[in-house]
Amino acid sequence: MNGEIIRLKKAFMFQGLPDEALKVLAQKITRQRLKKDEVLFRRGDSAQALFIIEEGEVKIVREDENGGELALNRCGAGETIGEMSLFDREPRSASVVAAAPTHVLELKREAFFELLNQHPDVAVSLIRSLSSRLRFASAYIQTATEWSKKIAEGDYSFMEQNQPEALTDEDKAEQMLFEFFKMAKGVKEREESLERQVQKLTLVIDEAKRRQEVEELTSAEFYSQLKTQAQKIRAQRRDRS
Amino acid sequence: MGKIVSIHSFRGGTGKSNAAANLAAQAALRGKRVGVVDTDIQSPGIHVLFGLDETNMGATLNDFLHGKCEIEDVAFSVGEKAADGEGRKKLAGKDLWLIPSSIRGREISRVIREGYDVNRLNEGLQNLIEKKKLDYLFIDTHPGLNEETLLSIAISDILLVILRPDNQDFQGTAVTVDIARSLDVTNLLLMVNKAVPNKYDYNDLKQQIEESYKAPLTGILPLNFDIADNASKDLFSLRFPDHPWSRELVKVAEAILAVE
Repeated sequence: MNGEIIRLKKAFMFQGLPDEALKVLAQKITRQRLKKDEVLFRRGDSAQALFIIEEGEVKIVREDENGGELALNRCGAGETIGEMSLFDREPRSASVVAAAPTHVLELKREAFFELLNQHPDVAVSLIRSLSSRLRFASAYIQTATEWSKKIAEGDYSFMEQNQPEALTDEDKAEQMLFEFFKMAKGVKEREESLERQVQKLTLVIDEAKRRQEVEELTSAEFYSQLKTQAQKIRAQRRDRS
Repeated sequence: MGKIVSIHSFRGGTGKSNAAANLAAQAALRGKRVGVVDTDIQSPGIHVLFGLDETNMGATLNDFLHGKCEIEDVAFSVGEKAADGEGRKKLAGKDLWLIPSSIRGREISRVIREGYDVNRLNEGLQNLIEKKKLDYLFIDTHPGLNEETLLSIAISDILLVILRPDNQDFQGTAVTVDIARSLDVTNLLLMVNKAVPNKYDYNDLKQQIEESYKAPLTGILPLNFDIADNASKDLFSLRFPDHPWSRELVKVAEAILAVE
């Protein structure tokens, strides 16, 4: 039982809770083990619980129409996920997939609200975590908007200034923008390949028609006269100069 | 001895007159003594680029051909009288003369009806070269290969054939090139005009053209809507020297001037 309490203390949400409260909580919590790439829940699922990551890491992802996956965020040990839906009663806004073998703790809706009623500190801790996520989203949106504008103008210079390897751990938003970066790279490559695809124009000459037209002109009566005349004029010009 | 440079295209609409006027202006700008003759008597047009219209046009090539005056009476000094447009003013004091064709309907129909004496035209052009001590005489020809045009081609020292990048022009240019060779034209140059930018691989096209016609392609001038905006009333390459069209035109002018 003690071991369980120590583990619960690692969750940011529960920090500062008295041992008594943690003991009660431990009985209400169930543990799930996820293999890498296993889905915890999908976008659009109805929400009955929140999860605390005990160990491992998960990706918060949105699937695009083509079945591609855009990672919006990553969460690791101690962090809480899925609490938003418990507050607003909306379906899950994104899917959560294990990025590595992961252990999560599941806390059902009723138990969660009971906890909030008894320990307002938990609410404060949750608000702090939500605020930080909001800041993350704002930073993400701001950079993504700036880059989108540049792409629309055909300016890809930001890609040289923001090599994804160079993005620091400190700025998680920028790390997540790696996905955006990949997309921009795709757009740029497609544009360049379109530019390269200038058509080849093949010079086509109907040789039979060409011969026939030349023949018609050169065999005309005036043509030999004209040739003689031109030769005479050239000779005159040479003489006069 | 001044050189006769005929500017020709097999079909109309290649921008021939515009090229002829600008090439002549570029030569004059480089200190050459230059004449430009509009022998497209059936559909004259080059005068507009030098600021001439029915109100200020004096004697014309038609008057000379009908024996009404001498050729030097027709020569209109652009450097003295028409250096007014924003581009043309760069020609002030330069030695450039224009021999315009009449734009009067009656005179145009007379030439179409009666034709003209090509010998008299030739005699006139020779005299003009001598009297004005011309280095270059540019002839803006009538498109196609009629008798009068063939003679201007035959007496040219340099023939510049203008074509657009399309198969009809490729075919017509092939015939023109064969005829020019049969008429012993020694310096045959080519110029592509109205090339839609980035549409085709123009390096590849240049190679094909030069291989096929065995003549140097001296410039690929882009399709230029700004020329239309310029309302064809000024010399574009003088007014907008940094425009891609002007830069390519200068290459063509330099190729003409480089011919020995």
